[in-house]
Amino acid sequence: MVLEMLLKVFIFPGFLFMSAYSFLVEYLDRKIYARMQNRVGPPWYQPMADFFKLMGKSEIIPEDANPLMFRLLPLIALASVATAFTYIPIYGLKATSSFSGDIVIVLYFLTMVPLTSFLAGWYSRNAYATIGATRVLTQMFAYEVPLFMSILAPALIADTWSITEMAAYYAAHPMHALINIPALVVGIISIQCKLERAPFDTPEAETEIVSGVLVEYGGKLLAMFKLAVHCELVLVISFYSAIFLPFFTGIAWVDFILYFVKTLLTLFILVLMRATMARLEINSTVRFCWKYLSPVAFAQLIINIIAGGVL
Amino acid sequence: MDLIKKAIDWGTSKSPWILHFNAGACNGCDIEVVDSLTPRFDLERVGVLKHGTPRQADILVCTGAVTLQTRDRLIQIYDQMAEPKFVIAVGTCACTGGIFDGCYCVTGGIDTVIPVDVYLPGCAVRPEAIISAVEKLLSSLKDDKGGAK
Repeated sequence: MVLEMLLKVFIFPGFLFMSAYSFLVEYLDRKIYARMQNRVGPPWYQPMADFFKLMGKSEIIPEDANPLMFRLLPLIALASVATAFTYIPIYGLKATSSFSGDIVIVLYFLTMVPLTSFLAGWYSRNAYATIGATRVLTQMFAYEVPLFMSILAPALIADTWSITEMAAYYAAHPMHALINIPALVVGIISIQCKLERAPFDTPEAETEIVSGVLVEYGGKLLAMFKLAVHCELVLVISFYSAIFLPFFTGIAWVDFILYFVKTLLTLFILVLMRATMARLEINSTVRFCWKYLSPVAFAQLIINIIAGGVL
Repeated sequence: MDLIKKAIDWGTSKSPWILHFNAGACNGCDIEVVDSLTPRFDLERVGVLKHGTPRQADILVCTGAVTLQTRDRLIQIYDQMAEPKFVIAVGTCACTGGIFDGCYCVTGGIDTVIPVDVYLPGCAVRPEAIISAVEKLLSSLKDDKGGAK
């Protein structure tokens, strides 16, 4: 029992599966992006080659940086993403672990990644990293509200705070998912903003502030941070497709294939947004999120409160 | 342990991230370096990414003869890069000093200041030559049984 749980948490569908899938997702992300720019793009093993190379490089910690925090932060980011991943149903309707209220836990762990990257920038004691860090926090205040409201709106209809129970509810009543279409649109824009990808990539804008919070990171620590960021991408698209694309058959292997179809579809839309739009200024991002995304998400909440009473 | 070392060596030969530094060039070679990153040549298909910070770069692509103004900065940037690190001198001026050799404000080629792995002459070098230089550097890593230099 304990062994089975450990296997589930660390091998499949836990940490190892998530890391392997994050390499695939990173490759597809870069490849589709390159094809949209009329380029050939990297070969399929490129993310792995990058990871192994970074693991072999020597470690440099800046003189002014806090060595303990500098080393610890990438691990905290990776650990919180891996923990949150155990609450997402990958095959079948049941996640590795679930309790009533795990949506809140997943949202909490998702907030940990921007927080660690803020602290990483802050403790690097570098001008570019500090600017990047303040932008990470500013952006967090922009997307958190619409993201939380759009994720919690479907939960109101299902009348539960557990992802597993929610998946079961929507599998039983697939037509009820159609009510959530405004939240689906708001959700995908806010997760693009959460993942700090174009057009919301102000925190790591290469052309202005080099690479933002990660400017002093290199070698093993950068490899950890990159892995955490791409695992966060996997976590977010899995979370999103579990909530907004609730198509389940109940047969484990069919659901497993469906999981790939749903997550890769979500990824394709995210890459499409990244490839076709230019970077916004940080104040435009905040204004866009508060002026347009939040009211739509709030309207969805009200609709769902009424719908939840009627249905 | 052997397998880990092999994986790291394989990664090093497949994933060169470059940092571009102009040590005092006339901008001709710099245009060509940027040109080789454009969709027409697309260096990403051999794994090359351009990074802005020396901490994340493996290959320092240097253009131009080293002037007295840039000498200390070049050494500082080279020191900020993590091992293993490589240097490509792009253009005749970067290799030997070129037409600026003997000038009162010029120390000479890149190798008068930091060690250089690949010399790439030309005025200005063609993007194909830069791609070939990167490939040569990577294939020389693969032949080396001891792994990265």
